[in-house]
Amino acid sequence: MARATRSSARVDTVLLAACIVASLLCLVLPTGTRQTFADNIRQTFIAPLISLQVQAERARGAFIVRDITAARLDSLILKNADLRDMELENGQLRALLGLGARLRNGFVAAEALHRPEMGEAQTVVITAGSRAGVVERSAVVAPEGLIGKVIGTGDKTSTAILWTHPDFAVSAMSANGNVFGIIKPHVGADVERFMLELRGVAFRDSLLPGIEIRSSGLGTVFPRGIPIGTVVKDITTPGAYSRTYLVRPMVMPADVTVVMVLLPTSGNVESVWKAPSADSMRKAIGNSSDSLARARRDTMPGDSVSRRP
Amino acid sequence: MRTYSFLKGAGVFVLLVVLHYTVRPLIGARISIDFLVIAVLLTAVHVRPGVAALIGFATGLIADSLTPLSFGAGALAMTGVSAVASWLKSTVFGDNLLLQAIFLAAGKLAFDFVYLVAERRLGLGDLLVQLFLWSPLSAVATGLVGVLVVRIFRISMESRR
Repeated sequence: MARATRSSARVDTVLLAACIVASLLCLVLPTGTRQTFADNIRQTFIAPLISLQVQAERARGAFIVRDITAARLDSLILKNADLRDMELENGQLRALLGLGARLRNGFVAAEALHRPEMGEAQTVVITAGSRAGVVERSAVVAPEGLIGKVIGTGDKTSTAILWTHPDFAVSAMSANGNVFGIIKPHVGADVERFMLELRGVAFRDSLLPGIEIRSSGLGTVFPRGIPIGTVVKDITTPGAYSRTYLVRPMVMPADVTVVMVLLPTSGNVESVWKAPSADSMRKAIGNSSDSLARARRDTMPGDSVSRRP
Repeated sequence: MRTYSFLKGAGVFVLLVVLHYTVRPLIGARISIDFLVIAVLLTAVHVRPGVAALIGFATGLIADSLTPLSFGAGALAMTGVSAVASWLKSTVFGDNLLLQAIFLAAGKLAFDFVYLVAERRLGLGDLLVQLFLWSPLSAVATGLVGVLVVRIFRISMESRR
């Protein structure tokens, strides 16, 4: 029994020694030989394990790349949003070019710089000033309709109040020219805050919802025919001596980045805001692109001039 | 009964080897769980030191095949650790959970020490950082997982007489 135990211990020792020697031999083998041994083991005994490891590494890579992919996706969404803004602006510019062509002259194209600070939501800086021919009390319009009026001019920039400003007022009429009144901002709450009022409408006149309201041209500031909004409902208060209508504006100032300042010489613009055909729009874009390019080149930081020929 | 124990032991060994090549890459941290060391140590306590040395050597060679530049270092370390574990057997740790964890962690630590010294790839600074920072942490992780494996598969750490 003792002999058997000693024999087993001897075998263990021999095996251990053999393994250690073999390991040391592996360590001191030439690099090429070691490489060959390792290749053989990889391609035979542990090939399935390596395959599993590859899958595991891929899975881990997928986990790691997931965050990067998510970040890239976010960037793409953001860029897509920017593209949408550019598309919107492009549409505005195209519309403006068409409008400019129909106006032919008597306008200055410019950019509207909004100031988002508190208390400044009712005014806008326009990148065209007195050098471009802008004068105080000029109408500021967008392709969709009226935005505001200029209240101060510098050499290269002007300040305009938007129709949301309490001091804003414009003589207006129904599109067919039968009903007249004064457009003022509606001082309401929540959703009605960004609406207009058509005040001073005679009791004998009535307007149905959806009727378009345009500037009447009475006075010297706003030429006749600029779209302002559409009638929503009658909000006449009891005891009043005239009717008042709630009007939905054609243009939300916050959405506008490119505007046109109508110079006092622009005259009657009533026919300008008729829907143009595709052909006339194309022609208009071609004709007026030079005008806008010149105006933009001349605006900030340079001069802004778009003079009549 | 002995056949069942052998099959169960072999199954756990294979499972741990597979886990080494599937779970470990998923973790991918500096603190790694060495399933191969767990497999070898759990096997070593049930076999004679000579057989344990052979198992350790073979397992080490398998591990080394993925690192040809240090081919043999893993085999040497695994052989030594496996043989020592087999000699120690249950006289040291028995079925005590804490001692089992210490046994497995010490095995991993010893393996890392022999392996890193034998491969001679790291500089002194890196070697010290590896030996005194990452290896102990890996050893703790390996010990804890090893105990978990013992508990889950109800592996007896008592040696066969």
